[in-house]
Amino acid sequence: MLWDILSIIQDNWLLLLIGQYPNGPLGGFAATLILSVLSIALAFPLSVLLALARMSRSPFLLWPSTALVYIARGVPLLMLILWVYFMVPVLIGANIPGFVTMLVTLVIYEAAFLSEVVRAGIMALGRGQMDAARALGHSYLGAMWYIILPQALYNMMPSILSQFVSTIKETTLGYVINVPELTFAANQINNQLLTKPFQVFFILALVYYLVCWTLSHAATVLERRIARKRAGTTSGTLPVELQPQTLTVEP
Amino acid sequence: MTGFDLTAILMNPDFGRMLLHGLEMTFVIAAGSWLLAMTLAVLLLITRLSPSRLADRAVAAYVSYHRNVPTLVQLMLWYFGISSILPEALQYWLSDHGAEAIFAVIALGLCQAAYFSEDLRSGIRSVPAGQSEAARALGHSFFGTMRYVLMPQAFRNALPALINHSVSLFKNSSLAMAIGVAELTHAVKEVENQSFRTFEVYLIATIAYLICSLLIMSAGAALSRQAVLKGER
Amino acid sequence: MIRFSNVNKNYGSFQALVDINADVARSEVVVVCGPSGSGKSTLIRTVNRLEEIQSGSILFDGQDVHAKMRSKELNHLRSRIGFVFQSFNLFPHLSALENVALSPVTVNGVKREVAREKALQLLDRVGLAAKAGSYPGQLSGGQQQRVAIARALAMEPPAMLFDEPTSALDPEMVGEVLAVMKALAADGMTMMCVTHEMGFAREVADRVWFMDGGRILEEADPESFFSRPQHPRAQRFLSDLRH
Repeated sequence: MLWDILSIIQDNWLLLLIGQYPNGPLGGFAATLILSVLSIALAFPLSVLLALARMSRSPFLLWPSTALVYIARGVPLLMLILWVYFMVPVLIGANIPGFVTMLVTLVIYEAAFLSEVVRAGIMALGRGQMDAARALGHSYLGAMWYIILPQALYNMMPSILSQFVSTIKETTLGYVINVPELTFAANQINNQLLTKPFQVFFILALVYYLVCWTLSHAATVLERRIARKRAGTTSGTLPVELQPQTLTVEP
Repeated sequence: MTGFDLTAILMNPDFGRMLLHGLEMTFVIAAGSWLLAMTLAVLLLITRLSPSRLADRAVAAYVSYHRNVPTLVQLMLWYFGISSILPEALQYWLSDHGAEAIFAVIALGLCQAAYFSEDLRSGIRSVPAGQSEAARALGHSFFGTMRYVLMPQAFRNALPALINHSVSLFKNSSLAMAIGVAELTHAVKEVENQSFRTFEVYLIATIAYLICSLLIMSAGAALSRQAVLKGER
Repeated sequence: MIRFSNVNKNYGSFQALVDINADVARSEVVVVCGPSGSGKSTLIRTVNRLEEIQSGSILFDGQDVHAKMRSKELNHLRSRIGFVFQSFNLFPHLSALENVALSPVTVNGVKREVAREKALQLLDRVGLAAKAGSYPGQLSGGQQQRVAIARALAMEPPAMLFDEPTSALDPEMVGEVLAVMKALAADGMTMMCVTHEMGFAREVADRVWFMDGGRILEEADPESFFSRPQHPRAQRFLSDLRH
């Protein structure tokens, strides 16, 4: 069994790492990584805007943003992928590769979940910060930009890192629309070998485990460091339903 | 393509039936894995509370695996991987009795059990230490303390997280489509292929999912409100 | 009723209790006072074995508290020792009545109706019959502590231990709790109290133990202790208190 696993890795490591490049699009683990990083990077600013919209008093901002978040929380990611796969070509009149579909879907999905994290982080700072800023003459947005958000986002770094781990796991759904990421590559190998499915999927699980575990561990370490740095400053306790760990929904 | 027409899907007996069966299967998978997950979570928790360090480590490893490996990969490992190393007789029996659904329930249930057990564990840890001290000072045994003082409070504390994870359990049922289970998302693709009315089918399924998720969330919120201790803000 | 013999306790290299030898007689009220860190709370918590000891023995009503025993026996022993905590530790998910009535039913096997009757009487005794249906979150600190006293009394213990019962209360509520404790003492209850309330000690205590550095440095009746403390640290403690 162990010999099988090692030989499969030895024969196919390149495919698992970068897919069929250069004879095809970049795939495998590289595709997974690029997809995850891009999604989080693009989702992040969007999530801040969404969080601010959810906290605004104007119904034009409040309703649509709240609706978006509830939809992302209530509909399976797979369903969202199907929607984007169908709608985007209709809207822009051209076909788009699966990779872009996944990217768009993940950006929207992650932005919705991240916005809850950001919102929780802002609210955890308490009214005192905003009051002090306004008393000094800052505008609402100015206070947000210079005072509130920097603190909230620093405190929320571990949660954002956790959400990044979730994103990596969510990229596996690209398999269903034939995006050549890591899971897809593993299935290709399995379809060739046919006789060693357990070994192939064991390798797949192992790779994800190592990557995600390392990142999650980094998040925990980061959380402890931040807690130490922030000890003594008053940031109120979060109401349980807004605490970050109850928000990162794992697909 | 002809204009937007929901009735072409809803009124059509074949399509309607396929979607309804899909929804039914979604419920079956979700309910089955929820029950498995809850039961297992309580067992995991009790194991974790026992004095054995090995038990604690074993459960921690279980949770770590299920939280770091993507759910889809877990499903694949069960359905493609583990099924292939089972004894042949069992494999034949399984394929005659809906192996896909069985493996889906097992995989999803085992995965969510990890999350539920962590939620319950946080729930217990958030009960102040003075509570168990007071119970012990009054003479309650370990089980008495658990049953009358700690678990009721732990469950209350864990409720929001449990509800959130229950919703994700429900949504994860759609992943079963990747191993061929005929749940709602699978049915959606089938109906789409046959009717070419992509938008309408997607809309119906999305609304169905949304309603179910919102129902679970509001049932949970109602339960939470009931559980709020009188006098708590 | 409670006998400490050569009791020693340490946390690692820190000696929390050093050679404690003392008695609390039946129906006696003993107040334990001293600066913080002196070991007073630790001492009282060893009586019902919420803290372990490394050497010596503690006898409660003739029974060795720290002997090797099955957990069932320890639970039974604890149920006979009433304990009131500084932070009340009422069960927030139960009403005041349920808090008081729960343990007689599940630990002592008392019938539910009998326990509830008794609980109502006890709540009345501490002046809270009207709040029987209220939950801890709806009660003030003083009310919660009185319910906690009733809860401990419900087990009909021959002795009650109080670990700084009023230290966590706002000043205006201290009086109502002390009143309950005074009434208990007048009824002949054996009591051991760790407290800073010197007025209570003067009025009610039969003896005062002064502790510092894990030792009992002085034992005297309240009158003697407060007017003519012998030990220099006791003298310093009392003069600090007056400022």
